[in-house]
Amino acid sequence: MKCLLCAVLLVPALTSATVAADLDKVVSRGELVWAADQEGGGPHVFPDPADPRQLTGFEVDLAALVAEELGVKARFQQGQWDRLPLLLGGTADCVINGIELTPDRQRDYHCSRPYFAYSLQLLARRDGPIDTLAKLASPGPGGRWRVGVLTGSAAESVMRSRTDLEIDVIGYDGTIDSLEQVSTGVLDAAVMDDCIFTFYADRFRRLRTVERPFEGGFYTILTARDTPQLSAAIDAAIGRLIADGRLKALYDHWDLAGRQQMLLLRDAAEIPVARRKSLGELCRDTLPLLLKAAGMTILLSCLAFPLAVGIGLAVAVGRMHGPAWLRPLLTGYVEVLRGTPLMLQLYAIFFLLPKIGLALPALVAAIVGLALNYSAYESEIYRAGLKAVPPGQFEASLALGLSKWQALRHVLVPQAVRIVMPPVTSDFIALFKDTSVCSAITIVELTKRYSVLALSTGRIVELAIVTALLYLCMSWPLALLSRWFERRLERPAGGSMAEG
Amino acid sequence: MITVSSLTKSRAHVRVLEEVSLAGAEGTVTALVGPSGSGKSTLLRCLNGLETFDAGSITVAGHRLEPGPHSPGLLERLRRDVGMVFQQFNLFAHLSAVDNVALAPRVVLGMSVDESRVRGLDLLDRVGLRSFANARPATLSGGQQQRVAIARALAMRPRVMLFDEPTSALDPAMTAEVMDVIVELAQAGQTMVVVTHDHGFARRAATRVVELEAGRIARQGAAADVL
Ligand SMILES: Nc1ncnc2c1ncn2[C@@H]1O[C@H](COP(=O)(O)OP(=O)(O)O)[C@@H](O)[C@H]1O
Ligand SMILES: [Mg+2]
Repeated sequence: MKCLLCAVLLVPALTSATVAADLDKVVSRGELVWAADQEGGGPHVFPDPADPRQLTGFEVDLAALVAEELGVKARFQQGQWDRLPLLLGGTADCVINGIELTPDRQRDYHCSRPYFAYSLQLLARRDGPIDTLAKLASPGPGGRWRVGVLTGSAAESVMRSRTDLEIDVIGYDGTIDSLEQVSTGVLDAAVMDDCIFTFYADRFRRLRTVERPFEGGFYTILTARDTPQLSAAIDAAIGRLIADGRLKALYDHWDLAGRQQMLLLRDAAEIPVARRKSLGELCRDTLPLLLKAAGMTILLSCLAFPLAVGIGLAVAVGRMHGPAWLRPLLTGYVEVLRGTPLMLQLYAIFFLLPKIGLALPALVAAIVGLALNYSAYESEIYRAGLKAVPPGQFEASLALGLSKWQALRHVLVPQAVRIVMPPVTSDFIALFKDTSVCSAITIVELTKRYSVLALSTGRIVELAIVTALLYLCMSWPLALLSRWFERRLERPAGGSMAEG
Repeated sequence: MITVSSLTKSRAHVRVLEEVSLAGAEGTVTALVGPSGSGKSTLLRCLNGLETFDAGSITVAGHRLEPGPHSPGLLERLRRDVGMVFQQFNLFAHLSAVDNVALAPRVVLGMSVDESRVRGLDLLDRVGLRSFANARPATLSGGQQQRVAIARALAMRPRVMLFDEPTSALDPAMTAEVMDVIVELAQAGQTMVVVTHDHGFARRAATRVVELEAGRIARQGAAADVL
């Protein structure tokens, strides 16, 4: 939901000429703001290992050279890689971050002349079965091969278009997340720009390149469509950097084969501009995907929440009535889960557990993560609910000969459950929206699908509205349910309900 | 059936009960009277183990209670034989009248749902509330709730019944309907201990009257002698 809102807020910035900074504004400000993602970003943009406060990388040097050509200083702006173009016009003047020149991007942004030629490389474990790309054409021992890519990258669109291969393509938010997952055996292979693997190869010694790179293209500097002078100035700057050998020297400095790069750039092909889809086509092409993603959102919520409630209830009962040694442990459980972000917990479950040999599929990791996180909140609610049951109910149960656990099971818990129905239902709505965090571990739910589609079609506003409506359609019934529970609690209930 | 010897209990360094001894034979009705704060409820709650005590001993329905930790399951076994009715009724708010009565036979005695329900309806009949079987406690009057609570306690077929001011929260009309039920029980030979301010009831139904004052027994004997 959050990035939906961001997208909606960013739209005026994308379309109105008054906000975007054209060349004169950049010059008078004295700064060229360039956006990139430093996470797992070598050799492009990454924290200097010698001093992590400093950024380094060949694009850091390139940005400095381009800014110098414009007569200004370069200033870095961090962003999530697949959403970097959304920063244009409002937050950043340009994006310099291994952005591939594609027909879609030609349509929605101004793409500078190419400054780097990349190739796609297939990567797999040394001890694994994949030794040629052709191997992927028939299913592996575990069914379809699982291939990781960077979400929104050319590697992703190329691999998704390869219907001749028996593969499931899984998108990651960080460049080297997929390398980690191939190492730990969660994935069978990964595809990425060759220069990235070359850079990280020493960290992933169990991985190897499979055959030669098989497809390629060019990196471009993105600017907004309504800053023509800035775009032209950047084009001219790249031209001068190529002509006077400074770009070649830069690539040689980074071990990126400067002479070969210059030869490839000389032959840079003209990339066609993609056609803008009509509204009808847009609906036809995106609605089924959005609905499917909404299904994932529902699946995650409906599986994770009952688990969260069950664990939460058990934790609450344990904290109030369990043995003395257990209580501090459960208190610790609640505080750790409430005191750390859901995102971090999902990361730990999905990326760290495989390191100790416990590799969970993304869907399971997402459900477990959501359930554990919410169980902490639910347990606090149930604790309050149990405290709200009048003490006479417990005494009356004991006086009838019920044990403590029988009293809890048949008298206290059923009453507490009723008391906390409204807050628990509204937590369900909260969890429902929090499922979007699961995109960090490759789950494609509604928000993620929106962000991918919005960027590939350039229809940010239209799709934002559709997506928001889908969310409302799903959360509205929950809100009604919550209110119904509240009303039911307010009036004394009648009728028999055989319990147990 | 009930023997209390030299029962002593302190709460935060205050003596709540001191050297209390009394006996109640099978089929007798003991009325516990005395000013507010004299320890009547505390004594009653010691009888079914809802309160612990510091010295002395209690034998009730064949179960013996002493200070200190109990053997596991002793309290549960004792409470099957000793029913209790509270001043505030304490009916299970989430269950209908019949389910309130049927719960303990089902959970504690392992009766089937049908069997326990039959017992529940029988007992509701006995307190004149069969037609309210499916009503929730919140929809019943105070007198009706207390009668359901009595039926609930009787569902375990206890050998001893304890009543803690069963009519203090009721207006006079409802007091009468509850008292009638208790008197009927007494006439049927149910052993019971009743904490009450109602001297009329004590005269009418009590075999013995025990008067507490500041945690000690001030007087005990036949109703006519004590009151
Ligand atoms: N939960 C409690 N905590 C502390 N003191 C209590 C508590 N319940 C009762 N007492 C005290 O114990 C004494 C006896 O109380 P109680 O048995 O309720 O008397 P009665 O039922 O005769 O009115 C009183 O002094 C009362 O203030
Ligand atoms: Mg009292």
